[in-house]
Amino acid sequence: MANSNLPRRIIKETQRLLSEPAPGISASPSEDNMRYFNVMILGPTQSPYEGGVFKLELFLPEEYPMAAPKVRFLTKIYHPNIDKLGRICLDILKDKWSPALQIRTVLLSIQALLSAPNPDDPLSENIAKHWKTNEAEAVETAKEWTRLYASGA
Amino acid sequence: MTLGSGGSSVVVPRNFRLLEELERGEKGIGDGTVSYGMDDGDDIYMRSWTGTIIGPHNTVHEGRIYQLKLFCDKDYPEKPPSVRFHSRINMTCVNHETGVVEPKKFGLLANWQREYTMEDILTQLKKEMAAPHNRKLVQPPEGGLFD
Repeated sequence: MANSNLPRRIIKETQRLLSEPAPGISASPSEDNMRYFNVMILGPTQSPYEGGVFKLELFLPEEYPMAAPKVRFLTKIYHPNIDKLGRICLDILKDKWSPALQIRTVLLSIQALLSAPNPDDPLSENIAKHWKTNEAEAVETAKEWTRLYASGA
Repeated sequence: MTLGSGGSSVVVPRNFRLLEELERGEKGIGDGTVSYGMDDGDDIYMRSWTGTIIGPHNTVHEGRIYQLKLFCDKDYPEKPPSVRFHSRINMTCVNHETGVVEPKKFGLLANWQREYTMEDILTQLKKEMAAPHNRKLVQPPEGGLFD
């Protein structure tokens, strides 16, 4: 088993994620790798992602919590800070990471990013450009992608 | 891999492992004589890759550029990717008709370990090109492709 030496902090965080899940977020560790989580985030209300169920994967690297978790979207999403491979541009996943943050805070921040796309710090240049030149149309595309790819079916 | 880390064995899951390999490939490896990249930027599972090897000096391969196809299935990196040359080459471990690198004749694939990477495969194939049994083999005309 790969989990015999799982740090206490990870065990604690996992227990809390399972017993007191944050609204609209679920995260459960995979059976064969307790550092690898299957995550679902519901699209926040009044965002273009409302009604969508977004699947993500999260991995706690060996250095965690000194290094940030690695997270990406598996569900296709039209968002200026998320690229085609589901990679997320979010400061706390990079230089703003602090060991005081947790899996929960990371997932809440990703949920917040869905409510507040930031085209000034883009990961997908084309989508960001779309957002800046014609926000209404970009939001429509994001809604359509949510219907097409995140309907939870 | 995790020697000296107090016996912990952290297993990096397939997708995150491939993302690491992707980033490493994008930065560029060593002297640039081997490289690789993903074929389909939309494939969330990152299955198809193209590798390139520049033929090593003082061999019949010198100056040639070889393209290979690597396919990482769902069970990568527990299992090795399938590897085949796209560019025609005459090498003892490569099937003459299909370009497939035959695991039985290429130790790295036959004795695959989870921590091996696509970079290791390409680097090892480049070394293999310079091995005594390969370095002087007559080669097909440059630019030919396996079907």
